[in-house]
Amino acid sequence: MPRAIEVYQVNSIFQELREVMMLIRLYSVSKVYPNGAVGLLNVDTYIRQGEFVFLVGPSGAGKTTFMNLLTRQVLPTQGQVIVDGRNVVRMRPSEVPYLRRAVRMIFQDYKLLPNKTAYENVAFALRVTEANPRQVRTRVMESLELVGLACKARAYPGELSGGEQQRVSIARAIVGDPTILLADEPTGNLDLDTSWGIMELLLRINKRGTTVIMATHNRSIVNGMMRRVIELDGGKIVRDDERGAYRREAGHGMVLPG
Amino acid sequence: MRLATVWYFLAEGWRSARRNVSLISLGTIAASLFVLGALALILMNLNHVSQLLQARIEIRAFLEDGLLPEGVAAIRAQIQATDGVAQVTFVSKDEGLRRLRGQLGEHAGILDVVGENPLPDAFDVRVEDADRTAQVAARISRIPGVLGVNYGQGFTEKLLATMRLVGVAGAVVAALFVAAVVFIVGNTIRLTVISRAREIEVMKLVGATDWFIRWPFLVEGMVLGLVGAAISGLLLFAGYNLAVRYITGLAPFIPVITAPEPVAALCVALLLMGVLMGAVAGGVFVKRYLRV
Ligand SMILES: Nc1ncnc2c1ncn2[C@@H]1O[C@H](COP(=O)(O)OP(=O)(O)O)[C@@H](O)[C@H]1O
Ligand SMILES: [Mg+2]
Repeated sequence: MPRAIEVYQVNSIFQELREVMMLIRLYSVSKVYPNGAVGLLNVDTYIRQGEFVFLVGPSGAGKTTFMNLLTRQVLPTQGQVIVDGRNVVRMRPSEVPYLRRAVRMIFQDYKLLPNKTAYENVAFALRVTEANPRQVRTRVMESLELVGLACKARAYPGELSGGEQQRVSIARAIVGDPTILLADEPTGNLDLDTSWGIMELLLRINKRGTTVIMATHNRSIVNGMMRRVIELDGGKIVRDDERGAYRREAGHGMVLPG
Repeated sequence: MRLATVWYFLAEGWRSARRNVSLISLGTIAASLFVLGALALILMNLNHVSQLLQARIEIRAFLEDGLLPEGVAAIRAQIQATDGVAQVTFVSKDEGLRRLRGQLGEHAGILDVVGENPLPDAFDVRVEDADRTAQVAARISRIPGVLGVNYGQGFTEKLLATMRLVGVAGAVVAALFVAAVVFIVGNTIRLTVISRAREIEVMKLVGATDWFIRWPFLVEGMVLGLVGAAISGLLLFAGYNLAVRYITGLAPFIPVITAPEPVAALCVALLLMGVLMGAVAGGVFVKRYLRV
């Protein structure tokens, strides 16, 4: 039956294409901290190029561990992590800086340098990667404009609101044009209106082609976006919905929708 | 590496060196380097003296009276053939008397009392290696026709032994002071590392290489070492010239180094050492604190 062989071949080609399209791949990854705390337990998952993914789950579920594994701030105790074709576990330490130029992070506490202006904070991230000094000014102003803060370029973090500080940290993260943006509870310290502003910004960045992974506790944002949701609990993936809500509704969980 | 990057390293290193250096740490660095330099000067002078002495150390072999010229020639050949002998010069009894007169100076009148020349003919023997003077002298004294030998028995060995001891002690003390400088510079830089922990964290986060993070600290160490060495070098140069003037006024027969070149060379070496020690301190300490 030549037809069956063709179908089989087409399927395997699709399978291979899907594998190639995977920007991030975790193969039975576990992270047990030296004190015995479980960060992740036997996690197998993938994230495609250009996706927007929410990482939800209670405190201590392993969301931060998940992200820190992608930038090699921690090494897994078991399993392999592939990011954009690079094996994060096996790479040489000298390759780590280049991984981190492709995978940028933003945080709940912004991690801005208080003695530098907004402009300097963003420019700093570009300079330490030895970017062409002629382009620094244009690129920094472009990314400050994208986050809507070009007018506050000279302000110090202490003179900015929480939402504005998070925007500066986003500008710093995207100024190097990363492939992946990891946002660890970026709206954790912000009120709902400001949070939606930040969400809008992250969506815009995602539309430009950057893959965004966001850990959050913010139920209304997750429910309002209807994007892929990966739910962690005790270091395990307990749910992975393509168009999910923050919590699985009663009676809806076991049966896959559609 | 881009020019802008090099400029950044220099500016950052210089700025934090200025911010974190204290009078005490800079003073200690300068003082340690000063002691190091002073030690080196003392050793250089001892070496200078010993070289002069070694050039001067000779064995005088006195000959029995009434030897025929052939006999004298035979003894000369035997001395020359002795292991460790560099040069042999004949000193006739008249020549010997003239030299003695010169050495006695105003007391030369005493020789007139003796009347007849009491000195025998002799050979002045220069040895290849001052350490083996006694050995060579003993061998020469066994040659038939040699009345006896004279070479300042005991003194040479003592001088050389003393110098060796001073050299070893100097090296030990120098090593201690090098360690002290590295430690002080390292500690100052540790303060910078701590005060910049946040900045370093952000730098790593946005993908700065380890070397990029470390260079400013290396520069800071080199600045501290250089400034400390410059201060100590100036003090050493001035101090040495004063000391030389004092010593030559007090005891002109002590052969100290008076030429400025070796002292200046020492100061340059001190500067280089300061920079090197600073770089080592900056590199080692930061590497320890940078591990992820
Ligand atoms: N550096 C660490 N050392 C020891 N245990 C840690 C460390 N980081 C996280 N953990 C533990 O790992 C588990 C997962 O933590 P984390 O990834 O921070 O979860 P989340 O971000 O979802 O709150 C928790 O039990 C936490 O206590
Ligand atoms: Mg967390």
